[in-house]
Amino acid sequence: MSLKTTISYSQTSAILTIEGLPDLSLNQDEENIGILSSWKLSLIGTSELEGKLIHLKAMMSVVLPYARYCLSNVKREFGSSDSPVSISPTRDKHKLLLRSSQENVKPLELLIDDAELSDLVRCLDSLYLDSRVSIDWKVPINKPLDKVEQTSRSPFAEIVGLPIFGISITLLTSLMFLLIPVAQEDDSNYLLKSLIMIEHSKDS
Amino acid sequence: MKSSLKTKLGRKALERIDLLLLTIESLDLNGSESIYWTSQRLGLEKRFPNRVELWKKRCLNPLRKSSRRGSLTNHDTEALILLICTISNNLYPLLRQLLSSREPENITSQRWSLLNRRFSELVNERMNTRRGSVTKLLQSEYLTKVNRQMILILALSSGPGGVDRLMASLQDQSI
Repeated sequence: MSLKTTISYSQTSAILTIEGLPDLSLNQDEENIGILSSWKLSLIGTSELEGKLIHLKAMMSVVLPYARYCLSNVKREFGSSDSPVSISPTRDKHKLLLRSSQENVKPLELLIDDAELSDLVRCLDSLYLDSRVSIDWKVPINKPLDKVEQTSRSPFAEIVGLPIFGISITLLTSLMFLLIPVAQEDDSNYLLKSLIMIEHSKDS
Repeated sequence: MKSSLKTKLGRKALERIDLLLLTIESLDLNGSESIYWTSQRLGLEKRFPNRVELWKKRCLNPLRKSSRRGSLTNHDTEALILLICTISNNLYPLLRQLLSSREPENITSQRWSLLNRRFSELVNERMNTRRGSVTKLLQSEYLTKVNRQMILILALSSGPGGVDRLMASLQDQSI
């Protein structure tokens, strides 16, 4: 009797299928998967993806945090250049880059829209939270973002615009005040006043 | 029951919760009833025993016409998040249609204009239109942008891991 178990997670545009065996050393049930032997991901409009456990772990560790950041409207790249999978925002889509471990194989670039991203996230969520699968996926836990992480969503001009505007308004106002001439008394008036003062002093 | 929320939500988060519920009402014409019945189905009667209590919690949004002072308790916040995620899951096919670029373009744009119109009507009806942020929200370009973001949030909150994601995002430090 084969102990191999196959589990599928299906959404409109994505089907994720995993195959594996229970880890009998950990007394797992027959329908559980403790050792993953293979996985397949079919995304509509793209070729079928296959890989090892390391690739699926890499995909989970970039796609799920990326979705978390999307909720905070922070669009940034996840996955370094040497990681098997990376995801980054493009104009109105999301670019999923899959790098092969074999040499001279070009990375596979997939452009997915918001609907396809949410389908993929739902498939990965289902796998991550499936009690029948006992694998440590090493997915970072969802945390609130601090101010620095959130400022990356604002364009540079928006961040520095207001302080620059404030400083320039202050400088301009100061300059305007500097340009206003100081009121000086007329020389003729000055002479007249001096004469009157002298007259007064003589009288007294 | 111990709450998994670390802090009380700020005003931005209260605004966001109410806007997400407003988006749900824009998507579903019977939305306000569906929100109440889903809360009963989820066993949240203790939190929201009737429609008025639910409305009172939503009125903590400072942008409301009839805004109330105070903040949500952690248990109320969790209940509202669970409610939003469950309804998003029910509405997922609709959310997906709106977000998909593979749908016919004219039908998608009709769906978006209908949604934007309904959302703007609800904002006009319930929010304090004298506030700058509400006036900005009613500007068509900004409204479209906000609506798209709300639909994406609902779609990404709909899956099995959605509650955790939404809860974390609502606790973001306000800028």
